[in-house]
Amino acid sequence: MATAVNSTGVLPDTTPALEPILHYVSASLSYVYHSFLSIPGSSIVIRYVRSSYQNDPFRTVLEVILLLFALRTIFQSRTRADRSTKNYVQLSESEIDELVDDWIPEPLVTPLTPAEQAQLNALPIISGAAGPKPKLASTGKTVLNLASYNFAGLANNEHIKEQAVGALRKYGVGSCGPPGFYGTIDVHMQLEQDLANFLGTESAIIYSQAFSTASSVIPAFCKRGDIIVADRGVSFAIQKGIQISRSIVRWYDHNDLDSLEEVLIGVEKEMKKKRAPLTRRFIVTEGIFENDGQMVDLPKLIELKEKFKYRLLLDESISFGSVGRTGRGLTELYNVPATHIDMLLGSMATGLNAAGGFCAGSRVVTEHQRINGTSFVYSASMPALLAVGASEAIGVLRDNPGCLRELVENVRVVRGVLDRLECIEVPSHPASPLIHIYVRSGPSQGSTLEVPTLAARKGGKSKTTSLEPAEPVTFDIETEERLLQDVVDEALAQGVLISRVKRLRGQEASEPRPSIKLAVSAGLTRKEVEKAAGIIRAALLKVLGRRR
Amino acid sequence: MALPLSSSGSGGLFKLSKKSSQRTLTPSSAAEYLASLKAADDDALAREQARSHSPTPARDVVHASAVNYAPSIASTPALSFASTAPSSLSSPTTYAATLEEDDDPLVYPDNPPTSNDPPPSALHSEFGYCNNEEYRYTSSYRDGTSLFPQHQDPPMTILLATYISYLFLIAIGHMRDFFGKRFWPGYYKHLMSAAGYAALNSDFDSFYTRRLKLRIEDCFARPVTGVPGRTILMYNRVSPDFNVSFKLTGQLTRALNVSSYNYLGFAQATGGVADAAEESIRRYGLSALGPRLEAGTQDLHTAAEALVARFLGVEDAAVISMGFATNSTTLPALVSRGCLVLSDEYNHASIRTGVRLSGASVRLFKHNDMASLEQILRESISQGQPRTHRPWKKILVVVEGLYSMEGTFVDLPALMTLKKRYKFYLYVDEAHSIGAIGPHGRGVCDYFGIDPTEVDILMGTFTKSFGAAGGYIAGKKVLIDKLRTINHAFAYAEAVSPPVLTQLTAAMASIMGVAPPLLTPVGAINTQSTALIPYSHPGPAPAAILPSWMHLPPALLSGVEGNTRLRRLAFNSRYLSQGLRKLGFIIYGHRDSPIVPLLIYNPGKMPVFSRLMLAANTYPGAVPFVVVIVAYPATPLITSRVRFCMSASHTKADVDRLLRACDRVGDLLDLKHGCPKHERWTVDEVIDRAVELVHMD
Repeated sequence: MATAVNSTGVLPDTTPALEPILHYVSASLSYVYHSFLSIPGSSIVIRYVRSSYQNDPFRTVLEVILLLFALRTIFQSRTRADRSTKNYVQLSESEIDELVDDWIPEPLVTPLTPAEQAQLNALPIISGAAGPKPKLASTGKTVLNLASYNFAGLANNEHIKEQAVGALRKYGVGSCGPPGFYGTIDVHMQLEQDLANFLGTESAIIYSQAFSTASSVIPAFCKRGDIIVADRGVSFAIQKGIQISRSIVRWYDHNDLDSLEEVLIGVEKEMKKKRAPLTRRFIVTEGIFENDGQMVDLPKLIELKEKFKYRLLLDESISFGSVGRTGRGLTELYNVPATHIDMLLGSMATGLNAAGGFCAGSRVVTEHQRINGTSFVYSASMPALLAVGASEAIGVLRDNPGCLRELVENVRVVRGVLDRLECIEVPSHPASPLIHIYVRSGPSQGSTLEVPTLAARKGGKSKTTSLEPAEPVTFDIETEERLLQDVVDEALAQGVLISRVKRLRGQEASEPRPSIKLAVSAGLTRKEVEKAAGIIRAALLKVLGRRR
Repeated sequence: MALPLSSSGSGGLFKLSKKSSQRTLTPSSAAEYLASLKAADDDALAREQARSHSPTPARDVVHASAVNYAPSIASTPALSFASTAPSSLSSPTTYAATLEEDDDPLVYPDNPPTSNDPPPSALHSEFGYCNNEEYRYTSSYRDGTSLFPQHQDPPMTILLATYISYLFLIAIGHMRDFFGKRFWPGYYKHLMSAAGYAALNSDFDSFYTRRLKLRIEDCFARPVTGVPGRTILMYNRVSPDFNVSFKLTGQLTRALNVSSYNYLGFAQATGGVADAAEESIRRYGLSALGPRLEAGTQDLHTAAEALVARFLGVEDAAVISMGFATNSTTLPALVSRGCLVLSDEYNHASIRTGVRLSGASVRLFKHNDMASLEQILRESISQGQPRTHRPWKKILVVVEGLYSMEGTFVDLPALMTLKKRYKFYLYVDEAHSIGAIGPHGRGVCDYFGIDPTEVDILMGTFTKSFGAAGGYIAGKKVLIDKLRTINHAFAYAEAVSPPVLTQLTAAMASIMGVAPPLLTPVGAINTQSTALIPYSHPGPAPAAILPSWMHLPPALLSGVEGNTRLRRLAFNSRYLSQGLRKLGFIIYGHRDSPIVPLLIYNPGKMPVFSRLMLAANTYPGAVPFVVVIVAYPATPLITSRVRFCMSASHTKADVDRLLRACDRVGDLLDLKHGCPKHERWTVDEVIDRAVELVHMD
């Protein structure tokens, strides 16, 4: 073929040289043809090919092109550059060398700002055991602790410690392997069973870090094209999970179930209009919000989820182990069977004072994660002694409902003091043991008991595709953070350890308002809590009172 | 803590996803739900009471015996090998699993110590007794060794058979789905849309799991108990329904453990490190109760960070409670949109997660291929960002020190040369290499003799060599301090648990050795002070860094034990790698790597290999082995492999056993396609000439 296309002048010269080659090619072709014919059934193939290609050169050409394209795709390098695009600039080697010499990268990280340096320097370091009354390394003083998550007061429980020591003497510390490869220890299975029994779900799966749980569970189920309807105020871990899932996300106003319903109706309409096939749909929210301590209305949420046929992913990282008669979380508080929640996430680090997180749900849900939960599959399983600690903590919670009664009492004491203060706002739910404190901006508006976002939604509707609410609350991050840090320092000076919430400014989906976080604990007596609340009140008044 | 593993509740424990989610309780009303919870409570209470009345509660027995036998080791070493810990495991009736090992060869040393020898420091089943100084080697880079992966190719027939096997498996899988959906729709219910809900996992997405992985499910996620040390106790299990669910038989098998990441053998329930961990539980409890930036920083954290920095020879370090999260929360803090990440194609999932979260552009380069990297570097720097041609803000090259599936070391010397020329930042994930390689166990920098301060970011984990959990980030003080304020884990994730910190501190200190106490004892060490300690590599740990209550035995304090462990690991690694090569297997990776991948290729041979190794009937006197088999998607489709992880806790006799078992199974499964027949040695020859083999290039 190729030679025939060439100009006739060249042809006679090349023909004698090519002749033996052509001869050889035709001979081998006929040999291949004949040997192919000798295979039984080959005539059927040939007949089929002939009949299908007859008088249809276009099809032949098309198939050859398709084949070439397929081969090109297969052999293309995976690290291919966009050389082919118009945008690629052809450069000589010396030009590249020059560009390489000229290129000056930015520094790996910017140096600490004075504020960040001050924050690091002010970090309290606890000497010895963390608990309700820890000793600070800097001063050696014992302080009342309202900064650590120790809701049910399980920290330093002697029984749990004894059992953990027993586990250490049987299993060592590390598990030395991911769950798939000999990292599944019997105590892990026991803990999963204990969690499932405790919550009343079919099964549970444990992760070795609470923070990595949500960001692993969400992408395990939500894939590209699936729909996530999420609260605007969800925690950082959930934000990251949503980000990595690459699903379609619609946001509803923070803790506003009317807004949720509107969004759900909107999505339904949208899907109908697009005639999109049925995809997986999820509502993602938190039980008690880590960012401000508000609490979701679970029965209403479940009603909505079932009406619109969404799956519910509820993060109970704060509420598990802290609310309900025995600490089972929101499901116990609202008397809702946990089986209504498709994926119930919780933290054993926060709720059980051990480590790790879990996801409880049906067996289909948990088994799916054993293969698809990235931080489950690709991470070593949790140390056995911590799993035992968590199992024992569940036992303690179940057998001593008293400790949570004390917690409720302590929360009431703290709220009783804070709610009467003019200079602050408390967005948290009255029953939440996690209490956030905002600096009140401007003249007081409404009572502090009212959940602010409900009031905030009087104006226009917010766009569901963006994180920004319709009427964002404006606040001055720098000033408020400084004021709150002053409060923290003042309280510490008076012997109460509290903490300003540390945010990753610039990395959050939307900047949360600066706040102080109080984690009320059952580990403190009523007297101590009263004393601590008094000191916090005095500190708040001292710092914020002199502002105006 | 009653484990209903083989009691009435056992059936439920392992039922897999096939059954519909509605199978068990869905109480219609809240009252019913509460009633069921109440029943569960009562049940638990009853069990609790029964337990407290019974004369031998499970964990207490374990604990009590542990206390009893810890001193007995020191006094009468030769007698205390077999009994104590294992026997206490088999006695409590609550576990129901039994272990018969009166004459188990795995619990007795092959060459028991004589009265002239120093007494063994550990239980033989956890950390093997090996007193022969010949079986030691020092892991370090020898100039001229090529680090580019040189993979031997198997014969075409093997490749062809592998492809055909996969085709068969896929075809049969589709046929089963086709008929299954028509005749047994109940099994497919959870894969189909139902009642207005889309399936959580479509039949297409889960095809590989259901139709390929399920066939060999018995080789994965085997439940174990006890210490994942030199040996491991595995629950025997059977599947009545073709691997859909498993039932524990109530028997335990003690198997030689060549699978756990226990490189230096610090996975121990006895010994000085475990004693320190126990002390810390009593002093500190189990949790730091919050994120580091709030109130979760204890003196233990700052001490551990100072020690890690000192261990690595860099200015500062930060510890994070999970290895996976160390990567996935640090990378987004370092790079963002407008930055370029160049990542090795075989990098770990945590790195990929972190890079995806960061929003930076990513390009992959061929595994450990510095030419490919340089070509991409030249192109990216000269072309700039796509479309706009703006220069990249920064370029971060992310590599692993030791690749966990390949057993290859990163070509660090070549990388450092490139780094000088192209000004990129270097992030080395030393998850597997830290502690495991290098003459002093300091990872790849130590192995290649490169100053660790020249690497911008050193990351590593404590799960592997140190028998703890979590990870670290180390580098310049400016960098680490900044990361403390912008890393996700520091603001939001739980801090490392105190016993875990103690384990890693004690293990690390015993590798370094501890310098005699300074004249002026310092109380709590602040992180700031680490910058003041002059860099000397490798130096012993200053006693002032360690918690004052931590009392390590002299062998650990002097660093002798740590050094022995390093050299034992290096010997074992090299012996196994070289030995398997000499037997004719195709082995990937570097000879000094404690990870030794043995190529199997054919998917059908994988489960057979795993089961035969466990069955222990391949030759007279064989012992069971637990092995890890890895296939797609963790590896490329055709290069399915077995991955052995060597440990300092293995004795030479253990490696001999492994070689013998592999030799037999390899013959049976036709796995020897490596070195040509005339260069091969018999297994007896390999075992006899082990020392020579190890020192061979």
